[in-house]
Amino acid sequence: MHIPDGFLSGTIAATTWAGGAASLAWSLRAERSLPDRTPAGTLGALAAFTFAAQLVNMPILPGTSGHLVGGMLAAAIVGPSRGLLVMAVVLAVQALLFQDGGVTAYGANLLSMGAFGALGGYAVAALVARLWPGIRGLVAGPVIGAFVATLAGAAFVALVLAASGLYPIAVVLPLMLSLHVPIALIEAGLTGAILATLARWRPDLLHRRERAGGRGSAAWGLFVLALAVAAFAAPFASSLPDGLETAARRLGFAAAARPLWPAPAPDYEPRWLAASRVGTALAGLVGTLAAAALAWALTRRLGRARAVEPHR
Amino acid sequence: MRPGAVLAVGLGLTALAATAPAGLGGEPVPGWSWLAWLLALAAGVHGFRSGGGTLAQVARRVAWLLPFVLMLALPAALLAAAGHRASAAVALVTRSLAATTSAAGTAFRLGPLGLLRGVRAFGVPERLALVLEAALVGLRSMLERARAMLRARSARRGKDGAWGLLLREPGATLRGFGRFGAALLLRTLERAEAQERARVARGADLA
Repeated sequence: MHIPDGFLSGTIAATTWAGGAASLAWSLRAERSLPDRTPAGTLGALAAFTFAAQLVNMPILPGTSGHLVGGMLAAAIVGPSRGLLVMAVVLAVQALLFQDGGVTAYGANLLSMGAFGALGGYAVAALVARLWPGIRGLVAGPVIGAFVATLAGAAFVALVLAASGLYPIAVVLPLMLSLHVPIALIEAGLTGAILATLARWRPDLLHRRERAGGRGSAAWGLFVLALAVAAFAAPFASSLPDGLETAARRLGFAAAARPLWPAPAPDYEPRWLAASRVGTALAGLVGTLAAAALAWALTRRLGRARAVEPHR
Repeated sequence: MRPGAVLAVGLGLTALAATAPAGLGGEPVPGWSWLAWLLALAAGVHGFRSGGGTLAQVARRVAWLLPFVLMLALPAALLAAAGHRASAAVALVTRSLAATTSAAGTAFRLGPLGLLRGVRAFGVPERLALVLEAALVGLRSMLERARAMLRARSARRGKDGAWGLLLREPGATLRGFGRFGAALLLRTLERAEAQERARVARGADLA
């Protein structure tokens, strides 16, 4: 999934560099506010481990092999902000010393493998750990997180390649997603295998993460999961009418339905990208983002109103 | 030349080469794009030569990327406007390899220590620079340890090699990888903690 130099347009390279730098700045700030201090030597050693683990290729079929990416694993061991730092260093070493991933594509690679792996994957893992308490949840969470994060990262790569003018999004997105389903399964399996062994040998390393996961992480996890469902599951939803539509057709008033105003994406299909799964996925993503923004704004407003309410 | 200046020039040339127009929209590739790619290639080769490297090393460093570059470039060229497909394919491959050569030559010339100095000269946060330094210091020993563990695993398992096919025996292969990864990780963390304790015992501050 490493994008080499020469495949991103100047605008996309600059935008993704800015996004990567912002996520890195956030992780450095978040790390400073943590109560415990992990020495730079330990994070550097973890980066070297992740690099070495990426070189261990696992044969899948004759002539085909896969390897760990490690963003989710790093976050499961040292937390999301430090996990992102570790991935930033791994990707920098790969780009500069081994030509694996481009210098101009560093921002995009950091977002697709670092931010989606360490932050997005961790958010999903934190949500699963809350729903499924105990050591099993601490292993199952990163497994699901690694799967979701790999697919989300692949979708992001497809998006930046399409935005750079290389391929149409309707071609590259389904191709990248279908190619990355087995890769995501391998990433989930390898992450789970290491964490399950750590849970037997050194469970304290995983418990540390349990204390770090808070309500904020769970909310972010729910949000990332909702985005993943909207992007990857919604396009494959059944096209058959639901109960109300069936009843309306049988009773003969389905044709009387009229929209109050022209919707930008009727039946979850944007007008400029109608009758395609990509259009449904985009409509789902935009709808999920809009619903989340509305919920966030309402929560803030209600929270403020409750804060100024006098004691009775 | 100072490491910061070398890194700035090298990365600047890489960025210029990587983003020069390659005629994907059906327009001809501008002359300055070819000039930028030629300059990046020349600078990359010069970086290797001035760092004591050979042309064969340059070729090895960049050639392994060729299949991946072709895999990305050829479909993009096929989707380009008719009549421009061949030129778009050549331009995309040249653009990617020229930018990669420039970046590789810069890194080769500077070496790990020079890269660190260059990164620090760029004003990268010190915490990030320290983690990068620790990663570079531990990289070689980590790779040697991982290779030794793989050799030992391969010797124990006989004709199957280090790993079985994941699809044929998924449970055993994943369990094996779990033990391998966890053992390597624990040794890494314990060694890093021991080094940190020794550093602090010698009077250094917590990094």
